[in-house]
Amino acid sequence: MIDDADDSPPALQADRLGRRYGHVWALRDCTLELPAGAIAGLVGPNGAGKTTLLEMIIGLLEPSEGQVSVFGQTSHAQRVATLGRVSFVAQDRPLYRDFSVADMFHLGRAMNPSWDQGLAQERMDAFGIPLKRKVKHLSGGQQAQISLTMALAKRAPLLVLDEPVSSLDPVARLEFMRDVMATAADTGLTVLIASHVVSELERFCDWLVVLTGGRMQIAGPVDDLIAEHRLLTVPRATPDAELPGLRIHRTDSDRHSTALVRADPARLAAQLRPGWQADPVGFEQLVMAYLQRRPQTAAADDPVLAAARPGPATKEVTR
Amino acid sequence: MIWVSWRQHRAQAIACLGLLAALTVYAIVLGTSMRTAFSHDGLAGCLARSQGTSCQGAVQAFTNKFGTLVNVAFWAVLLIAPGLIGVLVGAPLIASELEYGTWRLAWSQTVPRTRWLATKLALVTGGLVLFGAAATAVITWYRAPMDRLTGHFLHNIYDFEGPVLTAYILAAFGFAVLAGLLIRRSIPAMIAAFVPWLAIRLVVEFVFRPHFMTPLTLRQVNCTNGCGAGLGSVPQITGRIGDWVLNIGHGHGITYQPADRFWPFQFIEAGIFVALAAAALGATIWLMHRRTA
Repeated sequence: MIDDADDSPPALQADRLGRRYGHVWALRDCTLELPAGAIAGLVGPNGAGKTTLLEMIIGLLEPSEGQVSVFGQTSHAQRVATLGRVSFVAQDRPLYRDFSVADMFHLGRAMNPSWDQGLAQERMDAFGIPLKRKVKHLSGGQQAQISLTMALAKRAPLLVLDEPVSSLDPVARLEFMRDVMATAADTGLTVLIASHVVSELERFCDWLVVLTGGRMQIAGPVDDLIAEHRLLTVPRATPDAELPGLRIHRTDSDRHSTALVRADPARLAAQLRPGWQADPVGFEQLVMAYLQRRPQTAAADDPVLAAARPGPATKEVTR
Repeated sequence: MIWVSWRQHRAQAIACLGLLAALTVYAIVLGTSMRTAFSHDGLAGCLARSQGTSCQGAVQAFTNKFGTLVNVAFWAVLLIAPGLIGVLVGAPLIASELEYGTWRLAWSQTVPRTRWLATKLALVTGGLVLFGAAATAVITWYRAPMDRLTGHFLHNIYDFEGPVLTAYILAAFGFAVLAGLLIRRSIPAMIAAFVPWLAIRLVVEFVFRPHFMTPLTLRQVNCTNGCGAGLGSVPQITGRIGDWVLNIGHGHGITYQPADRFWPFQFIEAGIFVALAAAALGATIWLMHRRTA
């Protein structure tokens, strides 16, 4: 990973990005800065706006407000410059079923000026996939390897994957993710990967972005986020207002409540009362807490996010 | 993009070539036997001398033998063929990408989707024009002897022996491409495109075509050989083969479209269908562009 002092532009920068369909906002106020070389996981329930965000990043969709830029250059839908800067593995990894592997690569070469045919062929040799074989006669895992190879051979510096391992068996899933990570490590690729499989993101990602209800809930390096959050166990009667830091999500059991809070660890330690317990949070707990957080609490109550948001809060619409 | 378009439409192109080959074989077999009969019966000389009135027996024998070419059932079958070809090629062009999710792959390569679409439309349209022109040439060649007896305004002949045939195919294609984008599924898009295509096709043929140009009127009518409206083999009421008699008002003469208006009529009707195709394809490109904005 390139350190912060580097002057090179971020791999991905979203500035108050929003997209509206008719009167409904699918995504709003999305601000994000992903450094070059990051492996970022994007998590959110269905309908949270993930695909909308990804489509604006890869140049399939023009933002309704704000802007997105990749390595310092603003993205615009349907511009060759934007389309060429990002590789994309789409949801369900679509391929033309009656094409041969060689046909798929021919398509890649015909539609991408920077296509790397040598890389595509090397990878097929390594996986033992014959170029003459039709896509429909390949296994799900092999089809996933074709999809990833198509994206990698495009030779774009940012790789975006939308639910790439859905419908793969566990072994193929693991192999696919390892392949992505190994390639990223070898080539310095920046990766943004949307997935529901939180355990896999934990294993592979060093950055986390959580999106719910068309709003960015949290975004940052995983290590920093883990350090900034604590899982508090307090007596059930403790009112929310007395909890230190920013309350993200609270679960009540018979006698105790567990609350995930975001706070400076040193200050939090000083605010603890007798009988309270503060534990470090795991990746999955952190993600789940933000996913369960009600969307309307995101905009108004969150000093971190609110600071970057002048003007009145807009009406929240969950798609 | 040219290769991509070819690869994706290769099967359709081969099917069209197969269809054309079958049509050509059929045309050569039937066309040759028709030519043999035509010259054997001495119809050419008879037509030149007397517009066929001096050899009605031979004309009758010829029409009886090859009459299926001009009967209504045969026409009804051929009527739908251009529409079927157009919708079969057109509907999957966008709909299959949306149906199988491959649009996400196709449109995230380094080619803007409007260019992707424009290239495919241009190439496939070009292919259909070539197919239509070739089919028209084959049909025109093999039916030539029959045409000399009936003229070119008969439905079976008019609808297949000029630019209208290609224009019908293009209109069905355009409707189907647009329907594919709107409906997002191939088979429903085919139906949604075919039905209005057929409706417009029939309305133009039976309502507008007789009035593309103001009909001529003939006051003095020789009905000694029997008078009847419409088209058919000799003898012709107007005394010329190929005139299209629209209406016989007894005592008021007849109205008709003269045979030499065949080409103006062809271009008027082809223009209507090409304009419909262009409107549908233009709307498709516009909608495709707007989806991203």
